[in-house]
Amino acid sequence: MKARTAAVLAAAVLATASLSACGSDPAAGGGTPKAGGTIVYGHVQEPPCIFGGWIQQAYISRQVLDGLVTLAEDGTVKPWLATKWAVSPDGLKYTFTLKDGVKFTDGTPVDAEAVAWNFDYWENKGGNSTAKVSIDPYYKAAKAIDASTVEIEFNTPFPPFLTLATQGYFGIQSPTAFKSRTEKENCEKPIGSGGFTVKEWKHGEEVVLAKNPGYTSWPATAKHEGPAIVDEVRWKFVADGVSRYASLSTGESHVVYEVPTVNWKDAQSRYQTIRYITPGKPVSFYINTRTGPFTDAAVRKAFAYGADRKSAVEAGFHGVIPYEGNPAVSQATPGYNAEVAKAYAYDPAKANQLLDEAGWTQRNADKVRTKDGKPLTIKLVYGSGFIFTQEGATVLQVLQEQWKQIGFDIKLIPATQAELWGGKYTDPSTFDATPSYWTSPAPSILWIVWRPSTTEKPNGSNRSFYNNETLSAVIQQANSEPDATKANDLYGQAQKIIQDDAAGIGLYTQNSTYAVAQNLKNVWLEKSQGEPVFSDAYFTG
Amino acid sequence: MSRLRRIAVKAVTSVVVIVAAASVTFFAQLAVPGDRANTLMNLQTGQDKKWSVDELAPLNERFGFDDPVIVQYLDYVTGLFHGDLGTSYTQKRPVTEVIGGQLLPSLTLTGAALLVAWALALGITLLTVKRGRFLTSLGTTWEALTASLPHYWVGVVLLVVFAVQLRVFPIIGGTSALGTVLPVLTLAIPLAGFLGQVTRDEFEQVLQQPFVTTARTRGMSDLGVRVQHVLRHAILPAITLSGWALGALVSGAVIAENIFGRPGIGQVLVTAVNTRDLPTVSGIVLVVAAIYVVANLLVDLAYAIVDPRLRAA
Repeated sequence: MKARTAAVLAAAVLATASLSACGSDPAAGGGTPKAGGTIVYGHVQEPPCIFGGWIQQAYISRQVLDGLVTLAEDGTVKPWLATKWAVSPDGLKYTFTLKDGVKFTDGTPVDAEAVAWNFDYWENKGGNSTAKVSIDPYYKAAKAIDASTVEIEFNTPFPPFLTLATQGYFGIQSPTAFKSRTEKENCEKPIGSGGFTVKEWKHGEEVVLAKNPGYTSWPATAKHEGPAIVDEVRWKFVADGVSRYASLSTGESHVVYEVPTVNWKDAQSRYQTIRYITPGKPVSFYINTRTGPFTDAAVRKAFAYGADRKSAVEAGFHGVIPYEGNPAVSQATPGYNAEVAKAYAYDPAKANQLLDEAGWTQRNADKVRTKDGKPLTIKLVYGSGFIFTQEGATVLQVLQEQWKQIGFDIKLIPATQAELWGGKYTDPSTFDATPSYWTSPAPSILWIVWRPSTTEKPNGSNRSFYNNETLSAVIQQANSEPDATKANDLYGQAQKIIQDDAAGIGLYTQNSTYAVAQNLKNVWLEKSQGEPVFSDAYFTG
Repeated sequence: MSRLRRIAVKAVTSVVVIVAAASVTFFAQLAVPGDRANTLMNLQTGQDKKWSVDELAPLNERFGFDDPVIVQYLDYVTGLFHGDLGTSYTQKRPVTEVIGGQLLPSLTLTGAALLVAWALALGITLLTVKRGRFLTSLGTTWEALTASLPHYWVGVVLLVVFAVQLRVFPIIGGTSALGTVLPVLTLAIPLAGFLGQVTRDEFEQVLQQPFVTTARTRGMSDLGVRVQHVLRHAILPAITLSGWALGALVSGAVIAENIFGRPGIGQVLVTAVNTRDLPTVSGIVLVVAAIYVVANLLVDLAYAIVDPRLRAA
């Protein structure tokens, strides 16, 4: 509470300070480019290794490693290390032609062998579990046809593959470097062919990235051709939002990530701002359909109707983060079903009626509904301080009050990262609802989250414990459908099934916000995950 | 002989205390619910799910999570006596290296904070105790106020005033000398208030002792009396507390580190606890325990210097 008061106070002072600062209009590009310089970037979390399957690692490995393909603003897949590709008529084989003469920064050629080795490393050697789960169980093998042609083979047609391969998790590393160096060296300084190399990692403070002067493999979406224009990027870890944002006003940093929502309006008037809505699963509730009150679909629906989620989100995040009524995929995801998102608008009368019909007719001394003497108690577990910020927690508290009016007794249970990641809340008996998100540029994320969990093939990601064979069949059909319109239609049906049964309940989109100083141009976000790109950026005079 | 024995006994108890602290941490972490291999997998993927036994098998094998607890413990303690604190599960480098890189910034921060706190506390005490109603109440109010301020609040206010408005110090200055000033003040100001309160009570009592009157009647100046006679008595409680304060500052520095983007073991400890990185957590607790032990030895020494009665004993 004290921390919040101080943050608000600081925000107020910072805002006052801005009134006296000169305000010029933000502009992308333009100005007189100046070669060289060092970009200071204020990031939030420090990952354990530069490379890996967590988005915090993708952000930074994107600076060092190039991918095979990249995603354009319009959602189409464009060349990067691969200049072109062909899909076999049966949809099982993808043949990529690699750009000529590209070398990793250790001198190893970026050839078909290297690419095939990377796929094998992700899929079979535990190299990147997110790359693996993205194309599991469709992936079969990767092999080099000749030096510049690599073939990726699948068991079943899987058109989302190209889009998924644009994520930072699919960054190509030098096999020579990887095999000859220690685990620590690979963790701290992966060798790729990217626009920057890791010069130094001052743990707890910053990663210093140095320009790769021999860069030849910029993506088709790059804003200039050639090596990075700046000499270095200092990727600093500044966990505190107040100081991170303030460092921009004193000129100590040029770009900051996660602008506090209270400062967003101020940032828009003083800096260039970028807001990125993450595609994939939004921040939505998994609803435990196996045990407890939510086994009854009517109670789940009453829960969805029973609180004004839209207003709570808009107020809680100062209008910066959009409400998302679709629990399955966010509005930035291809194949998003906007109709589905409209369901369960706030309707307390309807919620009360559903609960009455479901037999929760009595109320105890605390005005909590009961059935057969049992109170309607909901254990709502949320990741405190890492999935949910203080603002997010406030939204949950507002909702808790409204749910109380219709007779739900909501127990908000803040879980630490250690508890949540350690598996304390994975058993169905430990929670009734838990909000979480999963970024992905393709709607095939539905398969990762909603694949039925069986004894032979458990799916720990299906945290609603929702096994629906119809849903499973529709998603699988969509995943292998070569026609994009038809595929999106099927993905849309899948979203409807999930929403109609209230197997999940929507809340808000996962966002990334950035503020960029006026004298730094051409900082842009790649499309698949919103990773910042610095290799085109330049300072103006 | 007895002196050597005393030193030997102190040294042995110190080692026992340090190993005991590391051992308690080791077992306490095993007792926390949640599986280490599961946490590691989630950390590597940014997920919060339960992984299957097959998926976790390679990690369990690699780090020996499946070994009996006693085997894991003996491995750990044996390593300790070889100066090996193990390898961080998450950062893939030796814990000694993980801590080593962060220890100096933390010690600089806490050591400087303690010195500055002392300077502030003594200065204010000397200047305001029994100096007329106005100055005295100014001193007591200042101490009561600062002693109760939360670190986060102090840090943010200092940041807004001195870094954003006046632009005297950097916000994210890392370990540079200028960048260290605000983090040091963030920790020193509340501590100074606390030390000041303790010193003031004692100072007031000592000022009424007969030997003070005697000194004054010998014609000694007021400042001379205060510094040479009274202070010597009055700082004893604060010295005792400093041993505790140094240890508390090391582990409490995380807030100042967070605000000013400064490296340090506080930040590493928080991350390691969150990711169930057992060797790193145990290693840091061990280092903090060692700092407590050393700080308390220093306190004993300082006592002996300040209070001649203890030298004979």
